[in-house]
Order: sequence, then structure tokens, then C-alpha cells
Amino acid sequence: MRYSKRLRVASLAVVLGLAAAACGSSAKTTSTTATTKGGTATTAATAGSAAGATTAGSTAGGTSSGGTTFGGKLPDCFGNPTGTVTKGSKAGIAYDTGGRGDGTFNDSAARGADAAKTGLGVTIDELEAKTGDDRNPNLTTLSGNGDNPIIAVGFLFETDLLKIAAANPKTMYGIVDDVPPGANANIFSLVFAANEGSFLVGAAAALKSKSGHIGFIGGQDIDLIHNFEAGYDAGAKAVNSKIIIESKYLGAAGDNAAWTSPDKAKEIATGWYTSGADVIYSAAGGSGNGTIDAAVAAGDGKWAIGVDSDQYLTATPAQQKHILTSMVKHVDVATYDTIRAVGQGATKGAVCTFSLANDGVGYATSGGYVDDIKAKLDGYKADIISGKIVVPAK
Amino acid sequence: MDRQKLQRIGVTAASSVAAVLFALVICGIILLLTGRSPSHVYQTMWDAAGERRIQYDAIQRATPLMFAGCAVALGFKMNLFNIGVEGQYRIAALVTAIVGTRIGFLPAPLHVAVELAVACICGAAWAGIAAFMKVRRGVNEVIATIMLNAIAISLAAWLFNTYFRYTQGNSQNVTTRPIPRSGWMPDIVKDQLNGFFIVALLVVFAYWIVVFKSRFGFRLRASGHNDVAAKTSGISSKRMIVTALLLSGAVAGFIGMQQTLGDSHAYSSQGFVDGIGFLGIAVALLGRNHPIGIVLSALLFGLLAASATKLGLIKVPQEIVQIIEGVIVLSVVIVNEASGRWVDKRTQQRAAHAVEHHLTQQGVTA
Amino acid sequence: MTTAEPNTEQPYAVELEGIEKRFPGVIANHDVSLKVRKGTIHAIVGENGAGKSTLMNTLYGMHQPEAGTIHVNGQQVHFKSPAEAIAVGIGMVHQHFMLADNLTVLENVILGAEPARRGVIRHAEGTAKVAALAKQIGAHVDLDAPLSALGVGQRQRVEILKVLYRGANILILDEPTAVLVPQEVDELFETLKVLVAGGATVIFISHKLDEVLAVSDEITVIRQGTTVGTVTPDSITRSRLGEMMVGSELPKPIPRVTKIGAAVRLEVNGASAKVVGPGSQKYVFQDIDIDVHEGEIVGVAGVEGNGQFELCEGILGLMPLTAGTIVLDGNDVTHETVRHRKDAGIGYIPFDRHREALMLSSPLWENTMLGRESQPKFNIGPLINVRGSQADCREIIHDFDVRTPGEDVPAFALSGGNQQKLIVGRELVNNPSVLIAAHPTRGVDIGAQNAIWARLRTARDAGMGVLLLSADLEELIALSDVIVVMFDGMITARLTPAQATPELLGLYMTGTRQEAAA
Repeated sequence: MRYSKRLRVASLAVVLGLAAAACGSSAKTTSTTATTKGGTATTAATAGSAAGATTAGSTAGGTSSGGTTFGGKLPDCFGNPTGTVTKGSKAGIAYDTGGRGDGTFNDSAARGADAAKTGLGVTIDELEAKTGDDRNPNLTTLSGNGDNPIIAVGFLFETDLLKIAAANPKTMYGIVDDVPPGANANIFSLVFAANEGSFLVGAAAALKSKSGHIGFIGGQDIDLIHNFEAGYDAGAKAVNSKIIIESKYLGAAGDNAAWTSPDKAKEIATGWYTSGADVIYSAAGGSGNGTIDAAVAAGDGKWAIGVDSDQYLTATPAQQKHILTSMVKHVDVATYDTIRAVGQGATKGAVCTFSLANDGVGYATSGGYVDDIKAKLDGYKADIISGKIVVPAK
Repeated sequence: MDRQKLQRIGVTAASSVAAVLFALVICGIILLLTGRSPSHVYQTMWDAAGERRIQYDAIQRATPLMFAGCAVALGFKMNLFNIGVEGQYRIAALVTAIVGTRIGFLPAPLHVAVELAVACICGAAWAGIAAFMKVRRGVNEVIATIMLNAIAISLAAWLFNTYFRYTQGNSQNVTTRPIPRSGWMPDIVKDQLNGFFIVALLVVFAYWIVVFKSRFGFRLRASGHNDVAAKTSGISSKRMIVTALLLSGAVAGFIGMQQTLGDSHAYSSQGFVDGIGFLGIAVALLGRNHPIGIVLSALLFGLLAASATKLGLIKVPQEIVQIIEGVIVLSVVIVNEASGRWVDKRTQQRAAHAVEHHLTQQGVTA
Repeated sequence: MTTAEPNTEQPYAVELEGIEKRFPGVIANHDVSLKVRKGTIHAIVGENGAGKSTLMNTLYGMHQPEAGTIHVNGQQVHFKSPAEAIAVGIGMVHQHFMLADNLTVLENVILGAEPARRGVIRHAEGTAKVAALAKQIGAHVDLDAPLSALGVGQRQRVEILKVLYRGANILILDEPTAVLVPQEVDELFETLKVLVAGGATVIFISHKLDEVLAVSDEITVIRQGTTVGTVTPDSITRSRLGEMMVGSELPKPIPRVTKIGAAVRLEVNGASAKVVGPGSQKYVFQDIDIDVHEGEIVGVAGVEGNGQFELCEGILGLMPLTAGTIVLDGNDVTHETVRHRKDAGIGYIPFDRHREALMLSSPLWENTMLGRESQPKFNIGPLINVRGSQADCREIIHDFDVRTPGEDVPAFALSGGNQQKLIVGRELVNNPSVLIAAHPTRGVDIGAQNAIWARLRTARDAGMGVLLLSADLEELIALSDVIVVMFDGMITARLTPAQATPELLGLYMTGTRQEAAA
């Protein structure tokens, strides 16, 4: 009598609501926006470090996991520390919503953490933000727990990180995909030269294209994605200056649906494949799956290029036959390197650009479809690292 | 009568505590099944809850929940289910963040006051759309507010991305322009406890006065309780629907303020803490729409979430806390229903008994 | 008490012995014994609230008694649910029909017991069986007609068919005549006789003595929760039976001594209202002219659903008029709000107290404040004056003899009669110039009924006008100065109480007879 039927319905809805809220927070995870928004400016990276980088794994203590090799030369930004990592020292990872298993940058950071655990013998403490409210407490908890370094996975940590880093000057922090404003003595900004990686997949596209007709699908029409397109174009034109490159963006700046519209991408890609294009690169988060599906539907000889991580590894067998390569952004390497550098005594924060030179970005070889052109691609890679080729950023 | 009132309160409190304990047991079983030690988990949370920092964090988390709980409870009191709190506070936060940057010429207290007024108006206005649709077109408020949530998210994202983006240097953290210092809500404990906690307590107090003590509140509760009887008695239910939703929206407008004015001092699409509107429903249910209940359940939810941040360190997924919260809400609904019935029955028996007693005294056979 | 001669050699179909049923706040059954012979019509009579329905619900398995035994056809039974009662052949026709408007007659009858093979309803089989039953009891109903097209009498026939279809041979009818006009009552009794002749047993609940005497083989009287005796119709007079029922002489109508005033309290002039449905609109009442004078009680008779409820809503302002005016004490209030009209002097005792008058889980003092909360005594500024409101409530409790432990108990804790007295008190304490009283004594016990009637008379004598709507023709005849009959949204007759016999009213109420509204 005291509880109306409405209220009962309400309670049921709450439970559903809680579930929805929980799902909502993980679903929104970041539609790869954060991941794709990789390196901003700096193109030519640390020219000097050219050498060994390509033949990864050569350095002592190197480990390999999921197609990534860890333990190459540390980027110079870390100040070339010379100490040795103390076994059992603690490193903290603060994941953003989604955490391990999100299939994108959190997962990638987790791979780097795992590699550091096995390869460097450090203890990893991990906290995952369930909601935005958790970011600050998680960083605080890790700081209080004696973890050093602490890596904040994603630029959304910026506001909280600035406060906490200032309060804990002796702890070193890393933040993925972001350069926080101001001079921050104990923060490493871990950013990626997406244009360089895109150059190589652009070259691969041009080398593999039989029709001399390729395409690029971007997510939001913003500078960050222009960075991918610019590299891709430059790479393709380096191979074939007359190549036709289609280009389309799925949404205007601010249209967040652009990252999650595989149907739109599929429609555009299907059109291009029909009119003769045979390789299409998408830098559009989850929408890129539409391009892969379009390639599958278009049949043999039609290729899609993945982005962020090696998409071959997570694709269905049917899709795998059409994934030429992927432009890979090594958040895992950045994570591993930060842990290693701090363990070896790095104490001065800096902006670390992960580029071809330090294997921070690259192309995937899974499936073996680019094995025949690997030599050429590695040639371009060496030229970029040496500074012979300067990849445009916009 | 006092004894009966006490009993009612006692039963309510006991049933809520029972629900929480029940939830802990269920989660303990889940932990056991997944090969973890419940005692270790609860011990960790308990120890965490003893830390001053965690306590501040719990209060910080509870503050928006109190606003949300009140907003939802206001609706419940009118038998309205405002699921739209979510959208209302998002719109309010965006507009307030924008207005806050434009009125920097105001002195600090006035600056904050104007910001809060803007937040209330925006929340109320967004809720007002649902009210209008219900009163004029008979659109169920549940459907209207769910739709408005989706619209609010898209609208805020579009406005933000199109007109109000601001970044510093190479930062990827895109926000609105930062609000000048005079528009900030000061912290009680620097970087740990914000002044909005006080505001939340004031709002809960106001909720109590308005809903439980005022003539308006009486009409609101009457309409919510039995709208036919209220209408028959001359209370315009349309007016009550509109007022209740506007008030609910206005309170919802406060939810995002701690983050916007107390912490990040700007609005950002991606950094925005969402989902509090839904949690508010749980808070209102657990608190049985009662002001003290709302405060206590908000604090409980805050403490659970705050102490759970330590669970990652012992390799226990923090999801366990979401399970605890979910089970609490479910068991509260079940336990409340049962205990409510029991109390009702007791009351009825007592009334009958008292009447019989009265009659025998008068020498009349019952 | 009087005991019936065993009039047949028939065995007992139902035997209840020493039944006790306790209910918080409601008159319970205690020490009830009832023996019903096979193949008879057995009436259970008693005043409203005497415990008749409780007893029948016990027999039907709706709840379990605290003490006592039940035998059906000689076998002791313990029903845990109606399903178990149905299984041994007991069927119940409720006062409020349990039928679905949007289904056909056939579908309603077979609902829940459909003849089906592998989940597919076999309509032909159902039709044949139901048609045979209908023929057997002499019911003429179109099995394929939608239920919504049926009148009350026919609906009741459908309920009976439904019970028979489930194999009942012991039928309980809870106040079956309450919703029927006299002509329909006769038809019902014919049906019952046919049933009994076919070997069925009928237990029929009523508080109308004439009917009971006319149709029953035996009569058991219940008073204040217990059986006071079983009699045969030919061994007892009407007045003696009435005495058994109420425990004393029947209350005599009190002739009025005051005069009806000249001033018109309420004028309803040519009032009409429509409901607009999908693709149609229908008048719910049309061209209603009623004047209620100072000190006058105008009775409105009619079968429920003929526009009386909507008329009240129209007068109160809850339903807009499409034509006509409402004038209160000389002021046109046609376009005023409900609140304005109530403040200007309309009191309203609604049809359904739970739905329209009470907040069941709120304390009594909030209930007595409802609708009056803008009066100064209930307020301190914008806040509620709790003490003042409680004091006001205590006055009403005292003045209207509401039996309650206090003003702080929730309304649901009170029995129906006490709830009704509380509402009457709330509406009368304002001294309205006109009171719309819809079924003011429905479901209340005899004591409360007398008290409410006395209240209405007192208020009338003080000059209040009353518009009395009732399904209880005795109440109408006893109280009214003039009676109008509503049928199909229109006034079909105006009669003085002297002219009005139940039979005549019945003819007008069913639309069998119409006279130009005078």
C-alpha cells in the first residue's frame, strides 16, 4: 500500500540504470579519439638515435610481446639515465575508464606494464578509473603507495595530474597522449608521431595498389587527424607521385559519432572500391571496421589499413585476408620505456615523442602481405629517421 | 503515537542496514567464488575508510550524489520519475562554465552566486521541456527525459566543440575557457574537500523544509500520493507536475557544480563525470526520499567508491563495488517492501486494537 | 434464535462450523456456523460490514480462517487458494465483475481455462460447451459480442457462465442484485431457480430483505461477524428478519420539520459534456437541469455509469462543460477552477473514497487538511501549522465519531466506515452551501450509516443544499425531497419520494420508461 507501482518500476529501472551507467562509462571509453590524436607537432625525431632502432630487440634485456619488441634504446628525452632498475621497485599505472581489455590504448599500456614486469622485474600496481571521479584518487593512492613512476593513461588525467604531480615532487609521472601546459619537472609527456607511421603505410598502400587509386577516411575533421592524412599522402606520393588519393572525413569537429560510425565508413569505402580504389586507410577509431568490412565485401585485391594497434590480431579470419597492414602506435613501448628510464634514474620531466626512430610508431607485418615490400618500407623508415625525408605534419 | 513513529524509524533504519549487510554477504560469496578472500577485501576497504584522505574523497563523491538524490526524490514525491537528471546537470554545467568566464568582473561571492543561479535555471529549463511535454501533450516523463538525456549529451558536445573549445599549449585536454578565480567555489581542505559539501547540506535542508514542512510541499505530496484525490480537492496536478519537475531540474543543476566550479574550473566534454543522475535514483531509493536518508546513502555510496580505489592495489577489480551498490539497491527495494508491509499491518492492527479497547471501555461489544 | 426445520432430505453441500477470521480493523467472523443443503438457494443476509463477504471469501479459499472447519459435500477441506475451491466445484461471482471489456463473451468465459490442443485454442469446442451452458440456464447472450456491448445484467450472466464453465456446482453470488435494477433482479432469480432445479447449490449474499424472502429456500442471518440464526422464508416476517439483522427495530424514516428555502444554492443549467474518443465523441451527460435549494436534498437515481459521476465532475470543475452553466449561490462558476468552487462553497463526498478522497498512507490530520490547506488555521506563513492541523483533525474525529486511536495514524488503518465518517466530517466542517454526496454510506455499517444520515439532515436543516447520488434506493427515498433519474446521461424523470417506488425507479433507470424531463 505504501509503495506505489510506479516506485517499484522505478526501482527496477534504477538497477537497469546502474547497469547502464556502468556500461556507459566503459563504452564511452574513448572512441580511439585519444589514441588517434597522437603526436602533435614534432616530426623529425632525435636524428642521432638512428641506428639500432630498426633491428629491435638487439639491446640487452629486450623482451618481445604481441609483435612488439621492448627494450630498445631509450628516447633521449629521458636524459639517458645510466643506473639499473631495482628488482621489485614499484611502478603504477592509472588506466582511464575501460581499463585493461578495452582493445585500445589502455590495453596497449597494459602490455607495456606486463613487459616491464617480466622484463625489468618491477612490481606493477594498477588502478582503473571507473568514473571520472576516480582519476584523482587513483593517482593519489598510487602516489601514496610509493609507486614511481606513475603513468596516467590518457589526456583526461591532465587536470588531476598537474595537481598531484605538484604535490609529490619526488615522484615521476608519465601521461599518455598529452602535453600538459606549463613546465612540469616531474612529468613525462608521452606523445606519438602518427604522421611518420602513416607515411610508411601510405607508401605500402601505393606500392600495393594496382590501380594507382587509394583512399583515406578520417574521423573528425580536425588537425589531429590531418596529421595522419598528411603522413599517408606524403608516403603514397613518395612512391607514386601521380597516385589518386581519395579523402573523406566522417564528421565535423566535435561530432563524436564520427569515431563510432562503421556504417558510414563502409558506405564511403564501398563507393571507392567500386570506382577502382584498392587500398583504403582509416584513421577513424571504431569506424575503421566499416572499411575492413567493405574490403571483404569488395573481394580479392581490395585492402584496408588499420590504425593504432595491429588490427590483424583482433580481426576475423575473413577480415584478416584484407588487412594489408596497420599503423601502430606503441603506447606499450612508451609505458615500458618510462618505467625503465625512471628505474634507471631519470629525474627530469620532458616531452617524449615516440616516433619511428625509437620504435614508438610503426607498421604491422602480421599476415605477411607486406613482406615483399618490407625492404622498401624499411628504406623509407631509415630515411625518415636519418632526416633525409621530413614528413609533413599537416 | 511517538512510540509508533520511533518504531517506524527503527524498522526503516534496520531494514536499510540489513540490505547493506545482505549486499556485503552476496558480494562476499562472489569474491569467494572468484577465489579471493572477502575478509581481505573488506579489511582493505575498512582500513581505507579510516584514512582521512579517503574520508574527504568519500564526502567529495557524496556531494553530487546528495544533489542528485534530492532531485530524484523531488520527482518521486510527485510520483514522477525524473530520469533526466543526467541531461539536466550536463546542460547546466556547460552553460555555467561558459557564463562563469564572462562575468569575471563580479566580486567572488557574487560571481559564484550568479553561477549557481545559472546552473539552477539551466537545469530547471531542461527539465521544463519534459514538464511541458507531459502537461501539454501527455508524453510520459520517463520517455521524455530519457530522450532529453540523449539530446543533452549531443547538444552539449556540439556547442562545446563548435564554439567553446580551448586548449593550452600542446595539451590534448580540451576544455572551455578556465573560469577566473573569483568564480571558484573555495575548498574546505585544499584539493581534498570542496565547499560544495556545505551547499549540498543546505540544499538537503531546503528540500526537507519545502517538501515536508510547507503548504506547497503538502500539495506536492498529496498530488504524488493520490492525484485524483488531490485534483478533487482543488489541487492542480498539472501545476504540481510542472513545479516538481522544475524544482527537480533546478536541484539537478547543482550536481556538476563541484566539478565545474570546485575542481576543473572549466567544462570538458570528455572529462565530464556522468552517470550521477542514475546513481541519484539509487540514493533516493535507498534513502527513501527522506532528507537524512539521502545524506546517509550518498555518504555510503561515496565511501564505498572511495575505499574501493584501494582494491586495485590488492588486485581485486573495483567492479565489486558496483556489484555491492547494485545488490544494495535491489535488496533495499525488497526489504523495504517487506518491512513496509509489516509496519502497515502492525499499524492497522494497533488501530483496530485501540478502537476495540475504546469500545470495550464504553461497554459496547466490538 | 429461530432455527429452520430440516425441509428436505438433501445432504449438506457446504458446512461451516465455528469459523473465526480476524482482520485488523475490520469486523471479523467469529463462531460462525452455516449449513447449506444441496440443491437449494441459501441466502446470507446481514448489514453492510456484518462479515458476509469475509465469510464467503473464506469458503472460496481467498484466505484461511483462524479456527473452524469447512466441509464440502461431506469432505473436510482446507483451501489454500481459490484454485483449490474451484477444483471441488465452488464458484464465486463477485460483486465487481472480473471481466475483460475488450474480449468477446466467449473469450471471457473460457479465459484461463481454454480448451486447447498444443497451445492452440479450439474455439468450436468452447463455443459448443458455452452455448449448451447458456441454453441450460436460459441465458440469451451472443457469444461473439464484445463484452463492452453488454449491459450489467448480461455481464452478470457471463460471470455465472464463467463459473459454471469451470465446473462449479456450488455458486456463491456476492450481492448480485446490488448493481441490478428490479427487472434484472427478477431475471437473475429465474436463472438461479433453473440452476437449482438442475442440482446446483446457490449461496447468495444480500442485505435486501424482500429479495431474500422471495427467492430463498433458507436464510442465514449474520450480525456483527457471527451467525445469529437460520430460518425459512415462510416461517418469518420481513420485520422480524430485519430485527435479526440489525439487532433492533429498523430505523423509521424521520419526517422533516423544516422547510425548503427559496434561495437556490446550486443551479445546473442545460449542462452537457462530451468525451472525445478515437474517431468518436459521446455525450457523457446532456442537457442536465437541476436546482438545489437552500435546505433541500435532491436525490439522483441511476444505474452506475449513466453519467452521474461525470456530472459531479462537471459541477466540481474536473470536467469541462461543452454547454450550460453552473451557478453557485447566484454566481456563475462555470469557468472557475476546482479550488475556487470548493472555496466558494461546494463540498464533495466522492464515489470512491480510496481513489478520490484519501491519501491512504498519510496521517489522518493530513487527510482532513486536504482541500482546506489554504485556510489560515492550517498555516504559519508558507509552512504547515502541524499543531493547528492536528487540533482541527481531533475536532472532526470527535464531532463525527471517527473510531481511531488518534489523528496520527495513517488513513489505511481505519475501517471503511470510519474513513467515510472522516471524509463526511472534512466536507461538512466547512459549512458548504451545497454538498455533493455520492454514495455517502456505501460500505459502512449500520451505526455509521445512521450517523451520516443524521449529519446530512442536520446540515440540511441548517440551510445546506444537498445533491445526493446513490445506488441505494432506500437511502434516496428516505432522504430526498425530490428524486431525479438519470439514464444514458440524461434526466429521464423527476419524482417525489412519495411517488417513487423501487419498481417505478427501476423502469426509469433502465430506460424502459421515459418521461419528458419536467
